[in-house]
This record gives sequence, C-alpha cells and structure tokens, in this order.
Amino acid sequence: MRIRLLFIAILSALVCLPAQWYPEPIRLLFSDWFGAQDYRARPNSLAATELASEVACPEDLQAWREAQTIAGVDIRSSPTCVADNPSAVAAFVRGTNNVSQQVLLDSGLTPDAVEKGRDLDGDGDPDEIHIRLEVAELNGSSPDLNELTAQYAIAPGIKPGFWVFVPKTFGMATENFESLKARSILRVPSPAIRVEQGDKIKITLENSHYMPHTVHFHGVDHPFVDADGEGNDGVPITSEQPVMPGGVRTYDMQPRQTGTMFYHCHVQPQVHIMMGLQGLFIVEENRPDNWLQTLNVGAGQVRVPSVAVAEEFDREYDLQYLDIDRELNNLIQASSDPRVITEQMHNRYDITDATSDYFTINGRSFPYTFRESLVVTKPNEHIKLRVVNGGSSGIALHTHGHKVTTTHLDGVETNPAARVTRDVVWIASAQRVDLDLETTNDGLHSYGSGIWLFHDHQEKGITTDGVSPGGNISAIVYEEYLQENGWPKTQGVDYDPYFTEAYYRKELPVWGGLAGSVFLMVGTDRWMLLRLLGFALSLGMIIVLLLGFIRKRAH
Amino acid sequence: MSAKKIFFAVCLLAINFFPLLQAQQVDSHVAHNMEDPRGQNDMGDLQSNHGEHNMTLDSDGMAMNSNWQTLPQDCAKIIREYKFEVYAGTEFSSDYPGTIYGMSEREILVEPCSSVTIKFINTDDIRHQWMIHGLPRYLYPGGMFHLEAAGGQIREGTFIVPSDDKTYLVHCDMAQHMEMGMKAQLKVGKGSGDLWSIPGVSRSFRPDTYLPKASRNYLMLALFVGAMLTALILHLWRRY
Repeated sequence: MRIRLLFIAILSALVCLPAQWYPEPIRLLFSDWFGAQDYRARPNSLAATELASEVACPEDLQAWREAQTIAGVDIRSSPTCVADNPSAVAAFVRGTNNVSQQVLLDSGLTPDAVEKGRDLDGDGDPDEIHIRLEVAELNGSSPDLNELTAQYAIAPGIKPGFWVFVPKTFGMATENFESLKARSILRVPSPAIRVEQGDKIKITLENSHYMPHTVHFHGVDHPFVDADGEGNDGVPITSEQPVMPGGVRTYDMQPRQTGTMFYHCHVQPQVHIMMGLQGLFIVEENRPDNWLQTLNVGAGQVRVPSVAVAEEFDREYDLQYLDIDRELNNLIQASSDPRVITEQMHNRYDITDATSDYFTINGRSFPYTFRESLVVTKPNEHIKLRVVNGGSSGIALHTHGHKVTTTHLDGVETNPAARVTRDVVWIASAQRVDLDLETTNDGLHSYGSGIWLFHDHQEKGITTDGVSPGGNISAIVYEEYLQENGWPKTQGVDYDPYFTEAYYRKELPVWGGLAGSVFLMVGTDRWMLLRLLGFALSLGMIIVLLLGFIRKRAH
Repeated sequence: MSAKKIFFAVCLLAINFFPLLQAQQVDSHVAHNMEDPRGQNDMGDLQSNHGEHNMTLDSDGMAMNSNWQTLPQDCAKIIREYKFEVYAGTEFSSDYPGTIYGMSEREILVEPCSSVTIKFINTDDIRHQWMIHGLPRYLYPGGMFHLEAAGGQIREGTFIVPSDDKTYLVHCDMAQHMEMGMKAQLKVGKGSGDLWSIPGVSRSFRPDTYLPKASRNYLMLALFVGAMLTALILHLWRRY
C-alpha cells in the first residue's frame, strides 16, 4: 500500500513540476525527441488603474504669489505655484512689533515673534533684533486617533515624522479644528534666519516640544557665554543644560563676519539634527536702509533680498538639502509616550546602521518640489543660491544646462581670481556653498532657455525610497517656460502618475503614462501556481512516506 | 463545545474592550476631525478667517469668542455663574506618567445654561491654550472659545453653555500638547460620557503596550508549554 502511494506521489510530483525546471540535459533530450513545446500565451497586462491624482498646481486663492506692498514692504512676486504668505514676509521685514493687528492676524504670528528695536548705527534700519522660535512636531502620533497629528507631506502620501524650529505663532497647529494638516507656517525645513552684520541679536528658544532641545549657531560669530556667564553655544556637554519642555533660553550675539551659516539643535545631535531641527543662518553685510526678511519660512525664494544681494544679483534662493531615514523619523509615530520615544530614539536607534529613504530640498521631494522649489530666471541674470547640506552624507549637486560658480565656502569668500565654475558641486554634511548661477547663453554658464533640472547626482538622491522620479529633483526654469499659474511647460511624460500615492507605494507601472504602453504591470499565471501547489503537496507526501519507511526499518 | 466557544469570546471581548465600557465617546471624540465636513478640502489656513472671530491679541496672549451676555437659543436665562482657575504647564503633568504637559482642571462640571469664566494661568515659560470645541456655531464662530496665554501670563474669558447635556473637548492645540497631556473635558449637566485620554479620567484609545524587552521569547515559550501541556493531558486522558 505504502509503496503504491509513494509511486503515485512521485508520479504526481513529476507531472506537476513545470517542464521548464527539468534539468537542462533532460530538456535538450526531450527537445530532440518531441520538438519545441506548443505556444502558450503569456499573461495579459493588468488594466491600467484609474489614477486618483492630486492637483499638481493648487490655485492661489489668497493671491500670495503676486508682487505686493504690505506694511510699506515691497514684496517680490513668487512665480512658483505655491508661495510664502506675504503678510508673514512683511511682518518679518518690519518686525512683528511694528505692523498692524491686521497684518499680524493674516500672518498668524505673535506680536513678539520677531521684534525689531532701535537703529543703533543711525543708518536707517533696526539693529536690535529679537527672534523667538518654538519647536513643532509634524506627523507625530496621537494616543487616540489612528492618524498623524499636524500632517505635512514631503511627496504624495509620504509623511515622515519631523521636529522643526518654527516662528512663534498664535492659535492652532492645524489649518483648523476639522483639519489634520499643519498650518503652512509650520513646515520643513526650519526657517532661514537673516541678520545684519553687527546687529545685536537675541534668539529665544521657547521649547514648546516634549523633549529637551538647544540651539547651536554653527559658523555664526557668537560668544561661548553671554554677558551673565550663561552658556550661549547650545552644547549640553560643554556649555549649558538643555532647555526642558516648557522652558525658555535666550542666546545673544553680535556677529562680526558675514556669510551663509547654519543653526541646529545640539541635544543628541545625531538624531535631533536629522529630525529637522536645523536651518540656514545668514549674516548679511551692514548697509544703509537694509530691512531684512529676518525669517524665510521653508527656505526657498527670498522675497525681500538684502541691499547687498539686490545690488549684485537679480534673485536669491535659500536651498536646504536633507535626507531622511524612515526608521528614525517614524519612531515618533510608534508611541505616544515621550519616555518610550526617548528610549527608542536615543538608546535603540543606531545611526551607524542607517540608510536614507527620502531626499528633500526645502522640505519636499519631487513632484512637490515643482510646486515651490523651482529656481525661476530670465536670460542674462545672476542668481544667488545659498545651499546647505543638512543631511547625513555629501551631495553632488548637478545643474543641467548650466555651470555655476562657487563664490563662498562655509560663508567665507573664495579668491575671485581662483573661483571654480563647474556643473557638479560637492557639498559635505553641514557645509554651505554660495553659488552664482549665471544665465548668460554662452555655452558655458548657460546653454540657453529651457527647463533644466538640478539635483543630487548620487543617484539615490533622485529617488523616494528607491522610486524615481522623486527625491531632491528640482529645476531651473526660464520664465518663457512657465505657465501663468507657475507650473513649468514640460513637454515630456504625463505628471498625473507622480501625483498619486500609489506611484510612491510602487503600485503603478513607471511607463504606464505613455500612450499605448506595453510596460503595464504584468498579470499572474494561476495555472502555474496550481501546478506548484500540486508539486509541493506531492513532495510533502513523499517525505512523510519515506520517514515512515525509515521508522519501520528502525523497528 | 459551543458553550466553550461563547465563554472564550466573552473573555476576549472583556479583555480587549473593557476600556470601551468605561468611556463610550469613541465615535465623536476620537474622530473629532470628522465632526464637520467643512474642513475636508481646505487649501490655505483658517488663520485668514480670523476676521469672523471676536478676538483680542497682544504679546501676552489672546481671547477668542468671549461671550458673557448673548444667551444660547435654548436658554431663557443664565442659571448659574461659574468661575474656574485653570493652571497649565509642565508641573501639572507630574502625577501622570508618560505625559509632559498638563492642566490643573481636567474635568469641569457645570449646569446647563450657565456662564463659565475661565481664568487661565500659564506657569510655563512658553505659550499654552485653553480651547473648547463644539459650542453652537451661531454664537461662537467655528464652535470654539479659545484662551491663549504667553509664558507666565494669565488670560480670562467667559462663555455661556447651551442647555443640552453634553461633554465638550478642552485642549491645548499647540503641536503635540494635547497628545502629551493637555486635554480636559467640560461636562454640561450629566454630560454625554467621558472623552478618551484625559489624564486621571480615562485611558488612551490606542495605548502603548509597555512589554518587557524579552517578551517575544516568553510568549514563544508560553506557546510551546501550552502545546506540550495539552499533548500531555490528552495523552494521560487517553491512557486512563
């Protein structure tokens, strides 16, 4: 009986095993005997799914993009789809203590968010500046709701946890009580700070977060201790206790040197910096009537450039690069207990084993970068790009169609006679590079008008968790290639798939957007699955029967 | 056999849904964002709508939609006048492990149609808010009354509650402050049950598990021992 069963099992295993998996000599032999196997059609492509695409370029309902004058501040137009709130820009320039209640209400800022005081050198602009920063958590967890709090997406459906320094605001963290989306002023990256050389600066950290933090001013001229001997460097292991939740500390400085610098939290910096507690810190030249846009929310275009920059350049952009390890940033989404989060983040998480999943420029990845991080130009312009790499590894910043000139490294001017002009600029972690992007069509600085990408050329940088196009891809766009609403006139593939969450969940075919494409997701072969199940079943029978024989013999 | 099944099912339900028996407001308060579809497709901030709110704002804080005279439609007169002092800050979280921020009054009980004055005293150096939601929108734009006090400041305001028994959510809406303990409830009359996650009143709807580190090993061991014991019992049963 057993022998007969074994025979049946072996036979069925042989029948079920697909012929393509027989050993090659046997297959060749069969081929000689019987010729080629009959045609069997490959599975059909899966039908293209209906795309649930987001609107690529949301309508500018509040007319934030236009050039306008608010509180006597001339604010430049912002040509991209999504622009910064001009009322906030005006309040940052005049000082939140010097603008009307209406401007404050429109900006969402508190009256003491950026206070501007006396003109100490009599040159027509304030030299006493007091900035107040809070700390906000984006995409955090709730002990009750199975949804993230204060949501902020870097790309469709992608919401890693972030901690950011934010200007001091009033009211809710979300757009309104019914919405879970963070207000537009609460975003990544932390705002770029602009001060004038020689200004008396006070920066108050109001720690509204649930973890200890500090601010360290990287590259900015500041004393190690303030006038009272209190720590002023933001480093817990050398200068001061961290600022506890609900606590406040004020940092004092009067920077003597100009340049593009950096600021970041220095508590457990290996994770706090990577969580987003970092921003650009720019010290501008002291000029008469130099009313600076003290904060640039989300970095990007500077809508009110300084006197010195406006003299030399047609436009100015702050660009901040950051890569994100999901394993770290999403830890805050796994628990609502700050003790658990602390242990997971500071004791368990090991950055030496980290790999980055997301790559952002100014807090977004492609395609959202095309909404707000385009560098817009006309021919024959000079554009100042202040670039910081806030990430964990270097970036190889490549500009299509242009060779850019490095004018400053870490805020220090390079010798004009020895400046390097190139199309791949290496920027190490925390390094700042000031670039002069010249749009003269001479075949060197520019190859002419168009839509020219710029991105990290270490190829993982152009992906979002390995899916391309994503990552920190943005573009230099000439105005003639820009539509009225700020969306570039691209003439390549359709963008609809990129504005779906499914694409970045890896569920859409990369070439699905091409008309008549053959590259759709492939269907499955159920018959093959059935055969293999039969094979596995037979194999199981064979094993049990053989074991039975062995046991019997042992007896 | 089927009796056994029912017994197990009841045990399972009792273990998993015991918190549900204690606090029943899952639908309206866990998913409070779904209360009103108005905000579902929003572009831009509501901040620009602040014009419709009755509001004062200065460096020390703000009060929004204060109302000490206009009666709700369902109230003929003010039945009682209440005044509560609410202290807020990190120090009021100390009795509740795993929270960072807190308020001194986490459950406020008032009679229907009474006026409620809140004196909100911020003992931290940073901003805090006392924000109540779900009030009638014809009196309180957005259905909210909101006090905000800058670090070390005091803000006071009054509102009048309608006549129906209802539990209102009170919280600080700064990022993560409610999640980290600044959550309270105001019950008018008998209220309409307890909200979740109010320190000292109710537990979290999605609590952490707090298992020891090697718990996976213990669970595997328990599984193995369970299987072995069952085998042993069956074996002994068959034998005797």
